[in-house]
Amino acid sequence: MIDRFSLSVAIRHLLYYKGQTVLTMGVVAVSVTLIIFLGALIGGLQKRLISSVTGAIPHVVIRQPERQPVAVWDVASVPAGQVYLGERIKLQQQKLKIEDWQTWLQRLPSYSDNIRAVSPVVEGQAFLTRNEKRKAVSVVGMFPELHNGVVDIQSKLVRGRFFGLNGGEAVIGFKLADEFALRLGDKIRVLGPEGNAATYTVAGIFDTGFNLVDSSTIYITLRDAQSLFGVGSAVTSIGLKLRRIFEAEDLAQKIAQQVPYETNSWMKDNQQLLSGLRAQSQSSNLILVFTTIAAGFGIASIMITSVVTRLREIGILKAIGATNRQILQIFTLEGTLLAFLGAVAGAVQGIALSLALYRIRTTVSATGRTAEVFPFDLTPELVIRAVVIAVIVGLIASWYPAWRASRVNAIEVIRGV
Amino acid sequence: MQQSGGDIVCRLEHVDKVYEGAVPTPALLDINLQVQRGEFLVVLGASGSGKTTLLNIIGLLDTPTSGKVWIAERNAEQMDEEERAALRSRYMGFVFQFHYLLPEFTVLENALLPCKIAGKQVEEQNRELVKELLHRVGLGDRLNYRPSQLSGGQQQRVAIVRALANNPELVLADEPTGNLDSKNGFAVFEMMRFMNRQTGTAFVVVTHDERLAQEADRVVVLEDGRIVKDMLQRPAQTHEL
Ligand SMILES: Nc1ncnc2c1ncn2[C@@H]1O[C@H](COP(=O)(O)OP(=O)(O)OP(=O)(O)O)[C@@H](O)[C@H]1O
Ligand SMILES: [Mg+2]
Repeated sequence: MIDRFSLSVAIRHLLYYKGQTVLTMGVVAVSVTLIIFLGALIGGLQKRLISSVTGAIPHVVIRQPERQPVAVWDVASVPAGQVYLGERIKLQQQKLKIEDWQTWLQRLPSYSDNIRAVSPVVEGQAFLTRNEKRKAVSVVGMFPELHNGVVDIQSKLVRGRFFGLNGGEAVIGFKLADEFALRLGDKIRVLGPEGNAATYTVAGIFDTGFNLVDSSTIYITLRDAQSLFGVGSAVTSIGLKLRRIFEAEDLAQKIAQQVPYETNSWMKDNQQLLSGLRAQSQSSNLILVFTTIAAGFGIASIMITSVVTRLREIGILKAIGATNRQILQIFTLEGTLLAFLGAVAGAVQGIALSLALYRIRTTVSATGRTAEVFPFDLTPELVIRAVVIAVIVGLIASWYPAWRASRVNAIEVIRGV
Repeated sequence: MQQSGGDIVCRLEHVDKVYEGAVPTPALLDINLQVQRGEFLVVLGASGSGKTTLLNIIGLLDTPTSGKVWIAERNAEQMDEEERAALRSRYMGFVFQFHYLLPEFTVLENALLPCKIAGKQVEEQNRELVKELLHRVGLGDRLNYRPSQLSGGQQQRVAIVRALANNPELVLADEPTGNLDSKNGFAVFEMMRFMNRQTGTAFVVVTHDERLAQEADRVVVLEDGRIVKDMLQRPAQTHEL
């Protein structure tokens, strides 16, 4: 319970010794500013890095596992004397495909609230030819409205359209368009792996900022891709986009137990990147820990000075009936209030600084697309965490000075020792 | 005169106090003392005779080496820190030689401190009383001044009102006039005498000034830690206002 008397004395002290109050608040404010600024910056940089890796790909991919020929005796234990002879049929270059994708399209979203988008695709390598020019590209057949949840094309369109793509139409990146001098309405010819060819009309040109997508990916309708790659009514994979991307591996493993296919997560493919990010987070945490400790010592030393200069008052308060607990509270409340006020000031500064720097943008693409120079990831959690940590540090840092104050011997003070 | 137990605000029995140290210093020897309700008692004695030590023991700030202390009919030995603090804030008032007002509080707030310590309710109940007391000591127009804006005598008067703020049974004053010139000192002393008569609070006042002792109901003289004289000059006024 907060003692009303202690609180009123604490507040009065803070108001009366303004210089000291402002000084202590300043110490805390600077550290909280640093914590928020650094936290937001590192978070933002990491987010940018991760999104450059995962932005254009699904977080989890479901596909048919490649079958390996297996010997009979590896599958079933065969009693001696009952060995059947058979001919091992050479598996044809089989198409890895998912026939019952429609079922999974319906079921998957209910597996986890983390699933943000589900997109069945038919994907394959092909050649784009125009006049004498030829380039290996990856062709993605999909439903634009679903696939936009995996990679955002619609809002990155420079020209034309993406949603409502018709059969016979294709959407391509601006780099590919530049390379082949393509404009809306131009025809492109795509050579499939088995020598079959198809012609599409360019219906949209986009600039996603992902080099691979912008320079060598062609989006067509699912049906067009099914016929180009000869997979009938099947798809080659189902891509999932998640809300909390770091749970991708867990979710992939969970889904693997529920679907008769293989799952793979972006995390598995990028383990090195992830351990790099982890190391970065740890070193930034270390900086934050030391900042916090420094602020704690700042509060503690100012509080100790404050206790020493007010020994008389403490003695008098005790003599006229203040309990040890009340004295303890006066100083812990003071330290905590100082830390809280400083933290709020620091939070305002940190937010202002981050937002100001976040505004700075540069042009990053030939199409005039801009991006922020400092990619701050300023979340309410970060700010709240910084303030809460500061308050806890204030409480801890003022504990010893407060305890000292509560042990003051009233007799000695009154005698003027 | 005063008989029933309820009329005794504090009682000391065979109290000894020895300050331990390289050389143990006896400060009080076999002190037996009862203070009646409403009594105005002056303690006289040379420097080092043990007056402050005596007040500290009565005020539950210090503990005797041996002997028994009763405050409000309760044995001081059996009290814990919280109880001592509660008695100090509700049952007793203190006036120190140096006024020791808190600089960051106003006159009224300083006078109300013991009530603030006791809680919001007590503060609300006693606020009017304290204002009234400040009026009576001539500080009615200084309620919102800071202590630094008052003279020494005025500060001591605030300290006296602070000692009385919780309607205590007993006020302990250690050389309250020691830091003032004789004119102001006398005025402050008169002030306490007046309050004693008005409120019926018992006072134990330590002083060097024998002139002031004339005004007391009872004078106790200490010499080297012993009570050498205990004179009743007039009966305490168990007064009603
Ligand atoms: N903390 C202490 N340690 C050791 N001896 C002490 C201590 N406090 C007081 N004394 C001794 O106890 C004796 C009584 O001291 P006390 O302060 O009670 O005297 P006093 O009558 O109040 O004197 P004064 O009029 O100067 O205030 C003195 O001899 C003093 O030296
Ligand atoms: Mg003394």
